[in-house]
Amino acid sequence: MTYVLEMKDMSKKYGDFLANDRISIHLKKGEVLAIVGENGAGKTTLMRMLYGLEQPTSGEIVLNGKTVKFSGPLDAIESGIGMVHQHFMLFSDFSVTENIVIGHEPKRNGFFNRKAAAEKVKELSEHYKINVNPLKKAGDCSIGEQQRIEILKVLFQGADIIILDEPTAVLTPLEVEELLKTIQFLAEQGKSIILITHKLPEVMKVADQITVLRNGKVTGNVLKQQTDVEQLATMMVGRELQKLTDRIQLDGDPLLVVENLTIGGKDAKPILDQLSLTVHRGEIVGIAGVSGNGQSELIQAIAGLRKIDSGNVRLGDSSFSGKTVAYRRNAGLAHIPEDRYLWGAAKEASVEETGLMGYYRKRNFNQSSFIKLNAFRKLVRGWIDRFEIKTPSLDEKSGNLSGGNLQKLIVARELGFETDFLIAAEPTRGVDIGAMEYIHEAIIEKRNNGDGILLVSSELSEILTLSDRIAVMYEGKIVDILDRNEATEERLSVLMAGGNENEASTKTTTTA
Amino acid sequence: MKLQRKLQQLLKSLIQPLMAVLIGLLTGAVAISLVGASVLETYKVMWDGAFGNFYFVTATLARATPIILIGLGLAIAFRAGVFNMGAEGQMVLGAVSAALAALYVPGSGIIKILAALLAGFLAGGLWSLLAGWMETRFKVQLLISTLLLNYVAVLFAGYLVSRPFQDKSGSAALAQTHMIDQVAWLPKLFQGMSVHMGFVIAIVLAVTLYIILRFTSAGYEVRMLGYNPFFAEYGGINKIKVLLFSMFFSGGIAGLAGTVEVLGSQYRYVEGSLTVPGYAWTGLMAALLANSNPLGTAVAAILLAALQTGAMGMERNTEVPLEIASVIQGVLILFVTAKITMNWWKVKKKAGDIHGAA
Repeated sequence: MTYVLEMKDMSKKYGDFLANDRISIHLKKGEVLAIVGENGAGKTTLMRMLYGLEQPTSGEIVLNGKTVKFSGPLDAIESGIGMVHQHFMLFSDFSVTENIVIGHEPKRNGFFNRKAAAEKVKELSEHYKINVNPLKKAGDCSIGEQQRIEILKVLFQGADIIILDEPTAVLTPLEVEELLKTIQFLAEQGKSIILITHKLPEVMKVADQITVLRNGKVTGNVLKQQTDVEQLATMMVGRELQKLTDRIQLDGDPLLVVENLTIGGKDAKPILDQLSLTVHRGEIVGIAGVSGNGQSELIQAIAGLRKIDSGNVRLGDSSFSGKTVAYRRNAGLAHIPEDRYLWGAAKEASVEETGLMGYYRKRNFNQSSFIKLNAFRKLVRGWIDRFEIKTPSLDEKSGNLSGGNLQKLIVARELGFETDFLIAAEPTRGVDIGAMEYIHEAIIEKRNNGDGILLVSSELSEILTLSDRIAVMYEGKIVDILDRNEATEERLSVLMAGGNENEASTKTTTTA
Repeated sequence: MKLQRKLQQLLKSLIQPLMAVLIGLLTGAVAISLVGASVLETYKVMWDGAFGNFYFVTATLARATPIILIGLGLAIAFRAGVFNMGAEGQMVLGAVSAALAALYVPGSGIIKILAALLAGFLAGGLWSLLAGWMETRFKVQLLISTLLLNYVAVLFAGYLVSRPFQDKSGSAALAQTHMIDQVAWLPKLFQGMSVHMGFVIAIVLAVTLYIILRFTSAGYEVRMLGYNPFFAEYGGINKIKVLLFSMFFSGGIAGLAGTVEVLGSQYRYVEGSLTVPGYAWTGLMAALLANSNPLGTAVAAILLAALQTGAMGMERNTEVPLEIASVIQGVLILFVTAKITMNWWKVKKKAGDIHGAA
């Protein structure tokens, strides 16, 4: 069978840096090709060349047997290649329909024919079983809906080859399920799909063929039937993954105690509703939940970044009521924030300055209010070695670090406080597998040391790997707390969606 | 290697202001040739007017003194991430308070001077603090409140010196205070030259501020608040406290600018004497040109003062009108604001990207 798309020996050089080194891929009609690799492996560069956003240094793109050259995305779109970007490109004030037909609006007498457009979008949405409301404003749509709009836009433009760049990064588990179904359906309809991702379980669910990249080179090209997650991970990282340190059984005293925490919302429904939760010493409590169910507010309330309406937070013997962030941090709280750019760092500040946050107040680094920079630099260099943070120097602006390296810096900083308690919110968001191993290892180590950790993550796999107990949040409440050995992804998914816990537990276990 | 990197960074930070100055001078050259004078000769005369001999150098430094102080005050606010536009009002209130303190506080010269410095600093600082407090308490935009408070301050100072504290002894009843007793004057640095002790105060303050911002925990808190207030809060910095402190010192130093003008060169508060030369706006430009680096602000302030004194020399000795200096300044402002707008636009664009739908 012939290929609809072949990329042969594609190379791309930026100065001395070889981002893509003779990469070849091929794709059949109706096939799903997954391109996997860590951050910086060259996936995005390859796709940018295919989509006409970058010109290859060398190599050839063959589309339906003919060699093509794209000077821009418009050429690519015209040739039937569509791309759904990781960051959506929608006009939030326009309707779903307008966003989909933009650039190819159906006209009547030279004017935009809204009615015809809405009809067409409806047809398209029914044909591909991609559910959207054509008249809704794009800005009012959920992330999942916005992604569906993007996919429909690409289909409307007549794409036969669809590139999906990290499509599941922003989705909830149920939305991911739905997206994977859509991908399979599109492939059955004869569309060819290129899926860029680093999430291997998803790859194993939908891909037919998998190409693995590392450091700009192809390190493997396999069919799904011939491989498994472990093999793919090994090809991605270049070595076998280590097993996490065993957890030591600890029965610690209560450390963080949250009682009846309530934060009112704009409308009648509170954001946090009489929430109570305890984290013991030597325990990791994971919070699972679809984002927007109060997790962020819970973290902020504990950390002192948000006012609460009623309730108590206590850490050991210190009550946090009405206390400042500085007080809480002195009392033994460290905090890996969920959004590293918003809370965790200042882009304009140097690596050293971002690392200094909190330490500048400590006696070891502060002499009559002058900061002891030399002593501190030693500490930061230690972090850089231990976590393999890649930075040209300590004076580099934090904003110039890659997301993963900045995350490692923040994790190192917060672990470095050696506090009794740690909030770890999305500790590995956007970092590659190698860094994830490090961070997970460090968190387990901290737990085994007898410290308490509250873990919040949108990655169920992360929650399941690390947590001793898992609390599921739904609409500002904790609807259930499961023990490590009774939690499964399925059971959590049902609880997260607000499903009945009995329904879930009868399905999975009988002795819960 | 490390030194090289540092030098590179320094150069990089200098390129923008130097380019602005260069393009300003080029535009000035076009304007000069339009009025039919020789560009090189005119600039030569300007240079002589600013730095030509010792007298002119000291005149330039005297003019630079309030501009440096205003610039330093604003630099603190900018570093903390707030746009204090109220330097003029803060300076004027500082000046009038200093004049009154020097006139009416009993004691020796040194006590009068100290009282005046304190009064000037406090008046400017509290006035600025008012705007900061309104921002933190009622979310009144600082940019707007500080700007509007200028009018209140300038008119109030005008009222003080045209009614209750007016000097009615002279033949023409100008809106001004009595003259301060000579013992409370800031000494001149050189016999017969206009530059006075205030210049030393300004330079010492510039160095002190540089050290505080760069090496102390207070400076760190101010800078982090300016870079990213969320990060500052997350790290345990008391946002409100730091903001109010920054505003207090920002206004206080602007008040000092007025104070040293009164104690060092005018010896009384005369209505309009500080607002007409536009010290506040030139100081604002100095801080912006130097990207709020205290040492850079001092240098930029001296350059801008030189531009003004040089232009005066030019007007004395050539047919070219004084307004050429305004042309050059205008272009400088254009470039400085273009940079701010660009940065603002970039930030906004990034924010749009983050939120997906732009």
